[in-house]
Amino acid sequence: MVESKHWSSILFNVLNYLILGLLALSCLIPLVHVFAISLSSSAAATGGLVNLWPVDFTIESYAYVARRAAFWRAMGISILRSVVGVTINMFFCILCAYPLSKEKDQFRARTFYAWYFFLTMLVSGGLIPLYMVVRMTGLMGTFWALVIPGAVPVYNIILLLNFFRQTPRELEDAAIIDGATQWRIMWQVYVPTSTAALATVALLSTVYHWNEWFHGILYMNSPDQYPLQSYLRTIVIDMNLSKMGANDWQALVVVSDKTVKCAQIFLASLPILLVYPFLQRYFVKGMVLGSVKG
Amino acid sequence: MKKLSSILALLLALCMLTACCAAEGADPFGKYDEPVTVRFVRSTDDTLDTNFFAQFPDKTMTDNLWCDLYRDVLNVNVEYDWIVKSGDEYDQKLNTAIAVGDIPEFVNVNTLQLKQLVEADVIMPLEDIYEQYAAPFTREILESDGLSPFQAATIDGHLYGLPNVDSSLMIADLLWVRTDWLEKLGLPIPTTMDEVMATAEAFAKADFDGNGVDDTLGIAIAKDLWSQMFSLRGFFNAYASYPGIWVEDENGNLVYGSTLPGTKDALQALHGMYEKGLIDPEFGVKDGGKVAEATTAGKCGLFYGAQWNSIYPLQSCVNLDKDAQWQAVSIVSATDQPVKAQTDVGTLSWTVVRKDVKHPEAVMKMFNVFIDKNWGPENENGIYYAPLDSESIWKLSPVVPTNPHKNDGAFLDLEQYRKDGDESKVTGEALSILKKLQAFESGSEDGFALWGWERIYGAEGAYGVLIDYYNKGMTQDNLFVGAPTETMTSKMSTLEDLQDEVFIKIILGEEDIDAFDKFVSDFNTLGGEQITAEVNEWYASVK
Amino acid sequence: MSKPVNTASLRRRGALKRELPFHLMLLPGVILVFIYMYVPLSGLIIAFQKFIPAKGLFGNQKWIGWDNFIYLYHLPGAISALRNTIIIAFWKILLHLVIPITVSILLNEVQNAAFRRTAQTLVYLPHFLSWIILGGILIDILSPNGGFVNKILGLFGVKPIFFLGSNDHFRFTLIATDVWKEFGFNTIVYLAAITNIDPNQYEAATIDGANRFQRMIYITLPNMRMIIVLMMVLSLGNVLNAGFDQVFNLYSKQVYSTGDILDTFIYRIGLLDAQFGVATAMGMFKSVVSTLFISVSYYCAYRFADYRIF
Repeated sequence: MVESKHWSSILFNVLNYLILGLLALSCLIPLVHVFAISLSSSAAATGGLVNLWPVDFTIESYAYVARRAAFWRAMGISILRSVVGVTINMFFCILCAYPLSKEKDQFRARTFYAWYFFLTMLVSGGLIPLYMVVRMTGLMGTFWALVIPGAVPVYNIILLLNFFRQTPRELEDAAIIDGATQWRIMWQVYVPTSTAALATVALLSTVYHWNEWFHGILYMNSPDQYPLQSYLRTIVIDMNLSKMGANDWQALVVVSDKTVKCAQIFLASLPILLVYPFLQRYFVKGMVLGSVKG
Repeated sequence: MKKLSSILALLLALCMLTACCAAEGADPFGKYDEPVTVRFVRSTDDTLDTNFFAQFPDKTMTDNLWCDLYRDVLNVNVEYDWIVKSGDEYDQKLNTAIAVGDIPEFVNVNTLQLKQLVEADVIMPLEDIYEQYAAPFTREILESDGLSPFQAATIDGHLYGLPNVDSSLMIADLLWVRTDWLEKLGLPIPTTMDEVMATAEAFAKADFDGNGVDDTLGIAIAKDLWSQMFSLRGFFNAYASYPGIWVEDENGNLVYGSTLPGTKDALQALHGMYEKGLIDPEFGVKDGGKVAEATTAGKCGLFYGAQWNSIYPLQSCVNLDKDAQWQAVSIVSATDQPVKAQTDVGTLSWTVVRKDVKHPEAVMKMFNVFIDKNWGPENENGIYYAPLDSESIWKLSPVVPTNPHKNDGAFLDLEQYRKDGDESKVTGEALSILKKLQAFESGSEDGFALWGWERIYGAEGAYGVLIDYYNKGMTQDNLFVGAPTETMTSKMSTLEDLQDEVFIKIILGEEDIDAFDKFVSDFNTLGGEQITAEVNEWYASVK
Repeated sequence: MSKPVNTASLRRRGALKRELPFHLMLLPGVILVFIYMYVPLSGLIIAFQKFIPAKGLFGNQKWIGWDNFIYLYHLPGAISALRNTIIIAFWKILLHLVIPITVSILLNEVQNAAFRRTAQTLVYLPHFLSWIILGGILIDILSPNGGFVNKILGLFGVKPIFFLGSNDHFRFTLIATDVWKEFGFNTIVYLAAITNIDPNQYEAATIDGANRFQRMIYITLPNMRMIIVLMMVLSLGNVLNAGFDQVFNLYSKQVYSTGDILDTFIYRIGLLDAQFGVATAMGMFKSVVSTLFISVSYYCAYRFADYRIF
């Protein structure tokens, strides 16, 4: 009995490591490919000769990107946008999720509010009216157009309120007996016990702000104001050849350097990849519970 | 051609008429007493960043030599409401801005946007301004490629947009072929369709890189079948088929060129080539950039494309293999008739003016200044258009009407120079090109990067072939050049998709050749018939 | 059983005072949502207009009732696009639930912390490459002519498959690559849920003699019930979202018959030609259908699992 259990457990472990290992490796391929191209010579890259290892190794593309002011300006804007945007998102997220996590006997209007927020996930007026509202509220062409219209992340609120609900009610009752206000309960009871959930929504917000490109193009009045992904989009997308004039091909020559494209894509992915390991410790089991107990 | 000349005559008559009564106060280069601000919107691209702003970091879109020029000559200040990068985003942002009623004072639009703006009655007719303020040389340039750019912007007899004209000939297809391979195999430059097929087959069979793998293509095609690179237009033209443009049938009515009987022959021939393994089975999923990997890596030596293809993508091919050599040659005929290469209206944008603008003529004056500075008798082309160190500088101007014949003109100047060796007669843009050719001939490493230019403007350059097309009447123009018709705006893109889908399937053998007949009848029932009627109605109106 | 009026109103006033902080907390969010999400809803009127952009959103547009919807319905290819959308979206919804849940449970079973952290970080990578970039890479990797995947399949005697260009395989390719790209990122929510499980439960189960599989099935999974139901209900809103960015960057004309979805279809006929009225009608149709689906699933979750997701 014991032996077979032991044996099946080992088999499971082997298979488990194997499956997860292969999955993880498969996820590595595209980024390695991009990285390999960025370190290859331009001719080899446009010839499609590069797979997972650089051909004619050179760091010329990175030297070129290093001199490219537009890239670094866009990166700066994106970092600022992520920091400010996530801060604002978290503020609204906690502030809205907490009351909505209450039961009906504590907060009678919660169902109304919940639907009020939830409906916006289902219907939207589309691009044009939103553009108009952004313009009327004076955000057009300003940094705030990137963070204010999406300040209230409804999806994250719903996620967080479900996590908040799992917090034992006894903790709250005890705090109320101690004379704590709702504000204090939210801040000192719920927030500390939900670090994994908060890390999750913070991550979702960060990724959203880092990857969003459309608003950058739509609401900004000049490419100098573009965040990184909007900037990248303009260099990554291939030119529409069917709509080209007789003299537009020059743009094709400048844009087409594949190694420089890939160097920028790679550099653009780095900051966000660094955020994950930083937040990852909140997903490590036991830490959260330990802190509550202690 | 008759209709064109009659319109020309009309315009000329109008011109004379107005010239006499509006001569006073209508100075095409008149400087305003008070500064006038013109507000545009625009798109920009990497060429400006790389070639200009990188060198002059303190310059901006509103502070540069072109803006200075407009201020000095006309007392006009150029401002921009917004700037986006790349053309697709320009359309997106402009459509949105238009939709919320945020219409710029001066704006470059396509024919569809122009039509919508006219329907909404927010832009003004410009024919009077054109008559009064267009300088004679401006007219000469704008009308030098025919009047189609004006017809496209004329609705109910009013001209609503000033064409930023561009060449229509320059987008005609050429046949690009690797001549070093021809030499190796002892083949001539193909002059008939049979020879093109034979060349393709010989290339595909040969193993030039000696890797023992059968990995060479006969002919390269990209998934956008009708663009300026790895195109199929030249191939279809061989069979007297003109996909995507409108041509006259024997009764003088316009028909859609894709539905002509020759199309079926071309498709059959392509399917035959596919069967023989001369065409990449994956062509339907590969865009131009992806297909270019084959030419770059020496896996393909034959394709149809535009004159500039030597600079991109072929330059990277010779960079990788110094022995490679390409040449653009005339497309060939598959019938007993001489071949005609199809062209289209080269003009892609028209400058329109919002109704409430106080000085609409300012933009016409800017057209005058732009054209005069770049191609006029006392031009400073080497400073304002394409100086050696920053080629795209002309894009700093918000209006960019191009001399449609500037490139072939430059080629002819260079031909003359090759004959008499008199460098003093080479001026303007031709001179900067000559410098490039000389750099290439010097054999230096930097010069080798200009190989692509030599293939266009050199002795056996691509322009020679295009000029030949022109001189020998070997072109088939798109005869519908009006604003898109009602049914066209709603149905045409669907029909084009249907066409490409069927054509690709026939080439790949997923459907047999009779699917073409079904396509023609589907085309007609799904809106093509109505579009044809509308197109002919327009055609009758301009005849 | 009627109570004196004054006590009731007093009590109500007490409740109001007790609930006042909740209202205050929600106020800023409610205002912003109203401005940036509810006000723009007025734009839905475009769906019933022959919208000429230059006349402006509230300009003198022509009202055409349901014509835009009828126009959509009669467009050749619309029905096949709808069918493709539903098939692709269905499989994506299903697999986007099953695979991340499985992977997060498997990750939780890994004892080696370094391996777990590395794997967790790596699976999350593809999410950050846009479909534009991945599209270019996938054409290489999936090529029937020497592509990486076909080479591996070749080792097992499988003939080269034209994943991106064959109507037999295109839908599968779309579903598989999308699941591959997103599963890592989607595990994050489930990992957060697993983190919240009280370790005492596992200890107790081990003492009771439960093996690993039993612990996974009887402890880990039930503890994730809440988040799974939540994700399931929310994802049903995607029943008509088959993933525009992905399809747009991977499809080609030869696979329109199996790969064209509503969004790409509407992009081609609507947005390219600035037919905003038709595009808005499409958006409205999608909203109505997803609202329907979410409402039904919300009701089911409440009725049968006694669970309110919000």
